[in-house]
Amino acid sequence: MPGETLLKVRGLRKSFGGVIAVGNVGFELKQGDFLGIIGPNGAGKTTLVNMITGFVRPDGGKVYFKGKDITGSRPYDIANLGIARTFQMVRLFYHLPAYKNLIIPLCSKRISRIRGGRFGERDEVALDLLDDVGFERDSYVPYKQAGSLPHGYLKRLDLARALALRPEVLILDELFSGMSMAEVAGVLPLMEKLSDKGLTIIMIEHRLRELFKVAHRVMVLTFGQKIAEGPPDEVMQSDEVKKAYLGTDVELGESGRD
Amino acid sequence: MSTIIYGIITSVILALYAVGFSLTYGISGLANFAHGALYILAGYISWNLMNYLGLPFLASAPLAVVACALVGFIIYWGLLLRVRGIPLSELVVTFAAGVAILELLTWRGFYGISYSLPVFVEGGVEIWGVAVDAQRLLVIAVGVALVVLLYLFVHYTKIGLAFRGMAQNERTALSVGIESDWIGALSLALGSALAGLAAVVVLPLGMMESSVGYEVLIYALAVAIVGGLESTPGMVVASFVIGFGQRITASYIGPKWMIIVPLAAIVLVLAVRPSGLFGKFKELEERV
Repeated sequence: MPGETLLKVRGLRKSFGGVIAVGNVGFELKQGDFLGIIGPNGAGKTTLVNMITGFVRPDGGKVYFKGKDITGSRPYDIANLGIARTFQMVRLFYHLPAYKNLIIPLCSKRISRIRGGRFGERDEVALDLLDDVGFERDSYVPYKQAGSLPHGYLKRLDLARALALRPEVLILDELFSGMSMAEVAGVLPLMEKLSDKGLTIIMIEHRLRELFKVAHRVMVLTFGQKIAEGPPDEVMQSDEVKKAYLGTDVELGESGRD
Repeated sequence: MSTIIYGIITSVILALYAVGFSLTYGISGLANFAHGALYILAGYISWNLMNYLGLPFLASAPLAVVACALVGFIIYWGLLLRVRGIPLSELVVTFAAGVAILELLTWRGFYGISYSLPVFVEGGVEIWGVAVDAQRLLVIAVGVALVVLLYLFVHYTKIGLAFRGMAQNERTALSVGIESDWIGALSLALGSALAGLAAVVVLPLGMMESSVGYEVLIYALAVAIVGGLESTPGMVVASFVIGFGQRITASYIGPKWMIIVPLAAIVLVLAVRPSGLFGKFKELEERV
């Protein structure tokens, strides 16, 4: 249902040793929302996502998915509920052909319950998904060992792997980092299409220009704290954000560095 | 000629010892030091089912294999789940479980010459002038069938793919909904069942007593280390290297030196090529 609150995060906290990685961060996502999370390196973006997806146990706070408390659930249970993610450091099943990387999620509990996971149709579904992210279907690329593919392909394979779970919430951790301009340009329309279809997306990204093309809303983290949330252009006008994100008081977009 | 034929038989027996150990390690990175104990436990269970319940061996053997799988599963859920991800603790836990099983069997009086299992098939044949009994041929058949079936299982089934996913990257596997605890428990259950299966086909060739468990563990370790952990071709090749090494030693130096071969092989491989013949941990090479 559009407009239904899908993901609710309340006061999540995590410290590593004495360092507060994430301190008291909360937000809400309605179905179909597209949230960008930005902030300097070490701001706690990935830790936040790791807590939502069950890879890191929070020190405090709650995560609700469709009203159900999923705080501290195991990663595979969260994945099976329909929250899929990619990783900043891509690590795939390198010893399998690219398309077989998608067969594994297609074999998961979640997909066996919905369509596309039946024996005999998985290969087709996998090739379709790869086609969507730009692995030409008729070429040999989908059949190559994942370990032999160049970086840009691996990033997109990771995206397809997350999409294979038919997620309701898709979390992308720096998907564009290391991708060429052409590759990003190839993926952006897909992001828009998925969002238009009603997929709820969270995107951590350093490449702001590309992010602002697709995100409806942006949240800014610095030193584990949320300092702003709102439509992209509004957020970037905030002095606090400019200071935190760029370290100085420069005018964004008019510095001539673009 | 007899060295070659018996070399092949010895090698296949070694591969049977090692296959369950390697499978569990390959999937979940768990070194099951209770492997040898589970092996001999299968013999003990099978013997008791026959002698106290009067079951035929054809019924007691599969039951023993299933029992081993269950024990493996219980070791995982009952003990290992609490220490998962801490390799040293995992090792201590499995070793302790193994010693507990073996000493329990010894306490029950499972040693001496009174215990043996019957063969599945009687008789024998002559191959190129060498007499070979049918049970040894069965061992070879089971060994070959097992390697082929495992290959098909791991490459063409859902659980097999989940196994491979877990083996290659646990974190990514988790993120696509593979239940790592369940897969880990299954991998140990399957490895234990394979130990049991090896026991019921190999044990009829000789006597059995609890101390065989330690021996089997040493052989399984030797094969895994020499072949390189996580490598199936490595496992097969290592079995043949050690198996033939033992046969040649037995023929030309003397049977009592046979046990030296796996130990010498471990030492030699660790000194010269620590990742094993087919190992994937290449970074170890740089330390030599």
